This record gives sequence, structure tokens and C-alpha cells, in this order.
Amino acid sequence: MHLLQRLKKGLHPQKSRSKGHSNYAYTTARVRAMKSKLLPRETYPRLMNMEINQITRFIQEVEYKEDVDELAMTYSGVDLIEHALNRNLAVTFTKILSISEGELNYLISEYLKKYDIWNIKTILRGKYCGASTDEILEAVVSAGRLRYTFLSELAAKPTYEDVIEALSTSEYYSILKEYNGENLSGIENLLDKKYYDDLFQAIGDPKSKDKKLFNKFIRTDIDLKNLVTLFRLKKYGIKDPSMSDLLIEGGLKLKIKEIERMLPLSFEDFLTEIENTPYWEEISDCCSPKMDSLIYVETRLKKLRLKSAESFSHVYPLSIVPIMDYILSKENEVSNLRIIIRGKAVGLSDEEIKNQLVI
Amino acid sequence: MGAKDVKPTRSELIELKKKIKLSQSGHKLLKMKRDGLILEFFDILNKAKDVRAELDKAYEVANKKIGIANAVDGIITVKSTAFALQNIPQIELESRNIMGVVVPKIESSSVRKSIEERGYGILGTSSYTDEAADAYEKLVEKIIVAAEIETTMKKLLDDIEKTKRRVNALEFKVIPELQESMNFISLRLEEMERENTFRLKKIKG
Repeated sequence: MHLLQRLKKGLHPQKSRSKGHSNYAYTTARVRAMKSKLLPRETYPRLMNMEINQITRFIQEVEYKEDVDELAMTYSGVDLIEHALNRNLAVTFTKILSISEGELNYLISEYLKKYDIWNIKTILRGKYCGASTDEILEAVVSAGRLRYTFLSELAAKPTYEDVIEALSTSEYYSILKEYNGENLSGIENLLDKKYYDDLFQAIGDPKSKDKKLFNKFIRTDIDLKNLVTLFRLKKYGIKDPSMSDLLIEGGLKLKIKEIERMLPLSFEDFLTEIENTPYWEEISDCCSPKMDSLIYVETRLKKLRLKSAESFSHVYPLSIVPIMDYILSKENEVSNLRIIIRGKAVGLSDEEIKNQLVI
Repeated sequence: MGAKDVKPTRSELIELKKKIKLSQSGHKLLKMKRDGLILEFFDILNKAKDVRAELDKAYEVANKKIGIANAVDGIITVKSTAFALQNIPQIELESRNIMGVVVPKIESSSVRKSIEERGYGILGTSSYTDEAADAYEKLVEKIIVAAEIETTMKKLLDDIEKTKRRVNALEFKVIPELQESMNFISLRLEEMERENTFRLKKIKG
């Protein structure tokens, strides 16, 4: 019964969470304490010099001990570390959701909804290719509002129709009902766009300074997302104007009209065009008309995203902003640890690993 | 067939002469086929070497790209994205004939795909995944080409070996034995003729 109530609460967040007293002081204090436990920057070069076994041991000695111990029966080696990192991420974010209240809780849960969307996409993809329940559950990260038990039930459903039926009371149903077993990529894109629409709706008309900052942070995120999407489309030589469906409205410095104008351009012309945008400075040295990889551009933009969140976090200590900064920093810590471990496991050079790290 | 096992008759001699002629022309043709196959083999060997080198390189790149995607996006993300794959590559197997050797001809479709044809949503994925998918598509393409060339090479080698054995058997066993038998019959027939002449002279006397 309790679970059902939690689930219902999760599926209708706007009705239950948008109102009420927010505990900014308490939550930010807890989050600051949690942030102090994140690995400091200087740890990563040290980890780079360690063997995988040493890194596993190091991880066991810090915040991830419980997760490694819990999963050691099921996984081993690099897979164990990766699953432990993801489990820790899920536990941490669930903790933030549980300690926050009122509007703050609503904003955080809207932000973490990306994990719910991710999990729904994973389950639909799994059903599409006929993967087993265990295979699907291995790829699920329950760091959002949808609990692991509910996601397990979804993954165990025999067909995608049953999965969608089980989500019929959720906010995603209006999009999911359009899925016909063939148009998965379109549905995925719509879900991802809905995430940003809902975030804007959650923020509403930002009046307070911290909300304005949060709004700015989300809009910067959209700019970077649109930029990466454009780079990817251009690299594949796609000039179709109908691809404007993939662009997300609401960017801070790149207006949708501006971006749409870049759609029919060739890669060379596109590069010339983005030279006039404020993000060019960050990526100029890894962009050229003959570039064959977008990896460095994407890594640079990720760094920029983290940098912008960090710069906001000190401005309003009792607001959503330091919490967002922590969430991003935690995601980044998990990502950096994974890059080092996986990179070492597949034999990437130290230079290549270093290039991917966002420190 | 031992030379002594044959019946020393004129018809057998005629039959043997025919067989020798046939064997000699067969030997000549098989020798030509063997030489032709060897030439064809060396041509394909060069191609196979190039394809193998390209395949090794493509494998190395694919391994690196999937390594980066696994490291940056996480193996969970890569696995989940892989679930969404649409249009599994189709392979059609046909055959062609090189000097009587039937070799495969592999036609493939839906191997290289554009970003919007892969089945995963563009907004929820990254260029790390794109590049890993690209590298693996290239690898599959190379594997298909290598499979065609290397199977052709193996079949040609088998056939060269077979043809060489046949040429040697004709050259060193069949034709010499037939010639030996022919010589034996000729000598025997001459002998029989001399015996007959002698017998007739004795009757007259």
C-alpha cells in the first residue's frame, strides 16, 4: 500500500509536490555535507597512476564501499565497479529526494526525471529487441522518481503494449501511446523534449533570483544540447529542415530561429556560422572542417556545462542552485571514475583517458 | 593397370591409343587450369592481404571507439542504446565461377546507416555512441568483404591442390602406364604376326 502511494505520488508529481513548504536550509546544508565527500580534483591524477585492482580498493575505501559489497556477489572486475557507481548515484539522488520537501523537492524531482525517461526508454528498447528481464534491469538506473521495484515490474511485462499500459496513468502516456513498435527513435526524442518542457513548466515564470539562475542553467544546458545535436547532424551530412523537430526550444544564447537557419548548411558553413556564437571560444581549437571525431567537442561542452553550474552555485547558497551543482558534480565524479576504470580496462592510453575526463 | 593385364588385341590397342590421346589433352587442359588458378590465386592473395590489413585496422578502431563509449557513457548506456537497433544487416549469398571453381559472392545491405536510421533517439544519446556505431558498421563491412575474399582464396587453394594432384597423376602415372600397355600390345601383336608367318611357312614346307 505504501509503495502504491509512493508510486502514485511519483506518477503525478505536479498534483502533490508543487505546493508546500520547502526546506532549503536543511537540504542545502545536507547537500553541502555530501559535496564535501566528493573526490577532490587532485585524486584523479593519482587514480590514473593506479592499476584497476588498486582503484577498486580505493573506491571501496571511500563512499562506494556499501555498493561494491552489495554487488560483489553478482558482478566482478570492471563491471562490478560500474554497477556500484551507478547504484551509488541512484541511492544518493533518492536520498536528496527524500530529504527535500515542497517546491524544492518538486524542482529536484523534475530535474532527476531524466533518469525516469532513460529507464522507460531502456525498457522499451529491451522489449523492442526481445532482451530478457535481467538484461533490461542491468541497464536500469533508478535515480529518478520511478522506484526500482516498479521498473522491475515494467521490465518483466511481456510486450511493449503492456509496458505502455502500465504507464497509462503517468505523464508520459500521451507520448508513449503513439508508439507502434516501429517509431522508437521518434518516441525517444519526444520524451527527451518533454523533459525540458516539463522543467520549464516546473520553474514557471522565474521571479526569485535563484529560480532565475536555475532557469539560466537549464537554458544553457539546452544551448549545449542543441549545439551537440547540430554537430552530429552536420557530421552525418543531414540537411533536412524537418530535423528541426530535434531541436529544443528555450536556449539561452542560441535562439531556435538561429539554429534552424543552420540546419540546411554544410559542415564547413555551419562551422563558420557558429564562430559567431558565444560557445565558439570553448570549442574553437578542436573544430575544423576536416575533423573526423566529435568526441572532443562534446567533452569540451560537458566541461563548460559543469563550469557554469559551479559558477552559479556560490551565488545563492540557500537555493536549488547548490543542489543542482552537487547533482552535476556527483554525476561527473561517477563519470570520471568510470572513464578511468573502463579506459584502463580497454587499454586506452593515459592521454586519451585524460582527454575524456571532466575535471 | 599393369601392362601385362591387358589383352593384346588390335581393338584394345586402338582403345588405348584413344585413351592416351584423351589423357594427354586432359593433362594439357588441367595444366592450363592449374596455371590459370594460380594466377587468379595470386591476384586474390594481394587483395586478401590488403583486406586483412584493413580489417585489423577497423577492428582496432572499433575496439577503441567502443572503449571510449563504454568509458564515457557507461556500458549500461551503450547496452541500452544497442537494444534499439533497427534494420539488422542483411546478407545475401550468391555464387560465381572462376575456371570451374564455385566461389561465394556476398552482397550486404543495411550495414552502414545514417544517424536517424539507427533506431535510437538522437537527443538522448551522444557522439561517443555514434562513433562506436560508425566504427562497428565499418568493421562489419570489412568482415563481409574479407569473408568473401578469404573463402574464395581457400576454395581456389583447394582446387589448385586438387588440379595439381590430377595433373601429376596423369603425367606420372596414367599416361606412362597407358603408353607402357600400348607398347606391350604393339610388341605382342608384332610377335604374334611373326609367329603366324613362321607357322604358315612351316605348313607350306
